[in-house]
Amino acid sequence: MRRLEILQWTGLLVGALMWGVAHILGYGTTEATCNSAAPVLGLDQHLWEGVINGVTAAVSLGAALAAGAVIVLTSDVSYEDDAPVGRIRFFAIAALIANVLFIMMIVLYAVGSIGNTPCRQA
Amino acid sequence: MSGYIASSVERPSKPAAWWGMVILISSEATLFGAFIGTYFYLRFRAPTWPPDGIPEPRVVVPLILVGVLLLSSIPMQLASNAARAGRLAATRLFVVAALVLQAGYFAYEVHDFSDQLKTFDISRDAYSSIYYVLLGADHAHVALGILFNLWLLAKLVRGLTTYRVHATQAIAWYWHAVNLLTLVVILTLLSAAIG
Amino acid sequence: MAIATPPTPAAEARVERLEVMWQSRPGVLGWLMTTDHKRIGLLYFWTTLVLFGAGGIEAMLMRTQLIKPNNDLVSPETYDQLFTLHGLTMIFFFIIPMTTGAFGNYLIPLMIGARDMAFPRMNALSYWIFLASAIFLYTSLALGMAPNAGWFDYVPLANKTFTPGHNIDFYALAVIFNSIASTLTAGQFIVTILKSRAPGMSFNRMPLFCFAFLAASFGLLFALPPLSADNIFLFLDRNVGTHFFDPSHGGAALLWQHLFWIFGHPEVYILIVPAFGIATSIIPAFTQRKLVAFPLVAIAELLVVFIGFGVWAHHMFATGMSTTALIFFAGATSMVVIPSTIQVFAWCMSFVLGVARFKTPLLFIAGFIFMFVTGGLTGIMFVAIPFDQQVTDTYFIIAHFHYIIFGAAVFPIFGGMYYWFPKVTGKLYFERPGQISFWLIFAGTNLLFFPMHLVGLLGMPRRVYTYPGNLGWTTYNVIETIGGYLTLVGILVLFGNLVWSYLRAPAAGPDPWHGPTLEWVTSSPPPEYDFAVIPKVSSAYPNWDVEDREEDRRKLASGVLLLDQGHEQVEVTPVDGWLSRTVEMPHESPWPVLLALCLSLVFVMLLLQHFAIAGLMGILSLLTLLGWHSKEPQEA
Repeated sequence: MRRLEILQWTGLLVGALMWGVAHILGYGTTEATCNSAAPVLGLDQHLWEGVINGVTAAVSLGAALAAGAVIVLTSDVSYEDDAPVGRIRFFAIAALIANVLFIMMIVLYAVGSIGNTPCRQA
Repeated sequence: MSGYIASSVERPSKPAAWWGMVILISSEATLFGAFIGTYFYLRFRAPTWPPDGIPEPRVVVPLILVGVLLLSSIPMQLASNAARAGRLAATRLFVVAALVLQAGYFAYEVHDFSDQLKTFDISRDAYSSIYYVLLGADHAHVALGILFNLWLLAKLVRGLTTYRVHATQAIAWYWHAVNLLTLVVILTLLSAAIG
Repeated sequence: MAIATPPTPAAEARVERLEVMWQSRPGVLGWLMTTDHKRIGLLYFWTTLVLFGAGGIEAMLMRTQLIKPNNDLVSPETYDQLFTLHGLTMIFFFIIPMTTGAFGNYLIPLMIGARDMAFPRMNALSYWIFLASAIFLYTSLALGMAPNAGWFDYVPLANKTFTPGHNIDFYALAVIFNSIASTLTAGQFIVTILKSRAPGMSFNRMPLFCFAFLAASFGLLFALPPLSADNIFLFLDRNVGTHFFDPSHGGAALLWQHLFWIFGHPEVYILIVPAFGIATSIIPAFTQRKLVAFPLVAIAELLVVFIGFGVWAHHMFATGMSTTALIFFAGATSMVVIPSTIQVFAWCMSFVLGVARFKTPLLFIAGFIFMFVTGGLTGIMFVAIPFDQQVTDTYFIIAHFHYIIFGAAVFPIFGGMYYWFPKVTGKLYFERPGQISFWLIFAGTNLLFFPMHLVGLLGMPRRVYTYPGNLGWTTYNVIETIGGYLTLVGILVLFGNLVWSYLRAPAAGPDPWHGPTLEWVTSSPPPEYDFAVIPKVSSAYPNWDVEDREEDRRKLASGVLLLDQGHEQVEVTPVDGWLSRTVEMPHESPWPVLLALCLSLVFVMLLLQHFAIAGLMGILSLLTLLGWHSKEPQEA
């Protein structure tokens, strides 16, 4: 049960956190590399975008797998059942859907920020 | 006990007042997030930071001061624990100890703040604008926390009740959050001394 | 069966004790000092209806001005104030307070089996601050200096150089003032939903209405501070001489836009998610089946707000930011549509798999789904940056967001008014006029907003007070104005029906729809204390659990969870809803209205630039807070 709890909360929260980090740091990197202070800061936009989005995508995938594991481990239970197991399965189903979206967004960020010329006006 | 027959076992949980304080802290932390985001947004647009004519911030003294404030989390947490254990005298003592650290920190900071305004005014440029708003907002939250502690001491004169125990827990959490926030704010402002 | 008819004399005596204990003071004083969530909900309801009327008048004046080219019904200066006030009023002073303040306040404790919110006096404070902020804003109109730079209030137009009058100071202060009320409400809902549920209501058994309001509350909590920061910077730039937005001294004009939209985009999800909650309450009642894909809908409510925090710069695609910066927002925007789509499919499948009775509430929900999908389709089109750059600031955008806001927020509000009318008033509204009001409003809004897509693509910009007659825009504008008047007629029929039903309709009883959630367990209207016994919950559709309701009747007889030793309420563990403790709640209090008064004085003094006096009023506010906390609940 304790292991199920840890897996469930990881699945529910870690992916969301990773997307938030990818978004803030990813967008922030474009600001830091395209404005007046860029020469002072000296960052390589493509490199940083690769690292930030790569790491966060990988960790989110881990969170998705954690959620998936809980769903498999609770396959004899319904999300309508009593707490805590019913609730754990409920959150794990929710977490799986959420993490798919978070991973998709981070992948789009990576493709878009590495595949485009840095600092060119849209 | 109130008018119900215990048909199920009671499980422990944080009181609503604690959750209320978490909500307040979340909201204020987000406000500070907006201020800190603004700081870096403006900084990334500036060829030099601080702009010419404004001295770089001192590093050592502010860090020592933040350390003093962070220390006050210890007596605040001890006060919270003592209150939950029902030890009134200990609770009062720990709150007083925290207050000494916090009030000392705050008095120095007020003095320093008004001194700095004579060096460079808030209306000088964007750097001074965000500098004083960010720092001033932090000082305001420390001041509010000091008022909370004074109120708590006044309440504790007449002893411990469930309400006052919950209040002590909530206020201790307020202080942990404000202390952490102050550290983040000071590190942000001091980052102008790098590079 | 309602708990209003207790079975044994002993139980009857205890319920009588509850009645006396929870009774309100009579008269106006009772309303000024109330902390009862139902009374506060009603106060919000009537106040927001007045403000809806004001926003509607602003809209009708604009539409009438635009009925023909080169019209001179209103001057350009007046027109600027009209569109600014219309946006501000409808968003901050109608939709948010109507959904959260009225529907949320009235229904959340009932749906979770609680007796009141977690912080009843703070709830009253939210209302009085909301009212004060509305009066504050509309005073500007009375003085002829209403905000006039659009509801987004972009700098540099909004700075001191280009708008020197007090208009924008009214804007900045009114928005900050109003946001205090919404922040308090958001915190209230979060803590109440986490802590005050009936034991047994674990998260997987919580009504979807509560998931929706939880999502909206988290949204408000995290979206409002950036807006406040923005307005603090604006007020300081205008009144103290700071340079946040002034490029000549290191500031940035786009800073305003970023902070505004970091608030502004989550805000639009905050507008529609409570309405989704209303829809997911109405559909099970009128299809008599559980909602399809319950866990997916629950997470979709939360996800749409959460991901909505990452899309803000899609409102800024035309500002000159780099492609690599904007790609983050285009990417997130393309994914944010998915949770909404999940919900649409779940709703539609519920219609198909259940036995749908198209009474007025369900008609409004069907209309809502149609309007929301239409608006959503144009929304997806804006993900394409080049397309967005062509249509931004044209009527195409106005069409999109009115389909979403009117369709996805106002339609469910109207449907919800009909659905819960029997619960709140005890009367069953007249069905025929209800259906007529729906069709009039549906026809009217489509006639009003659909042509805007076309005239926007033909180049008509937004916020123009008139237009030339040789651009082919005239016919569209005429149709839109006719649609506006038709909508007005429909709305008048709706409210006329509700008033007439209140006066003349037959009694409704506690449960006219055989609804799924706990509010239908109580009498209509509910007693002051909501529930005589805290209900037993073992599913997300408790009113359909016959055995649990039987169990409640037995608990009433034996006194279990009757909680009549004071103003008592249970607290539970936040995730699984295990019983944790019983708490004493505050009852009536004068402090909320007094504190709201003190805070009003702070804002008035700030507006008048009497900063020292504003500080004194701030100290007065702190003293009022001291008074508020002088008596502990067990001493009251």
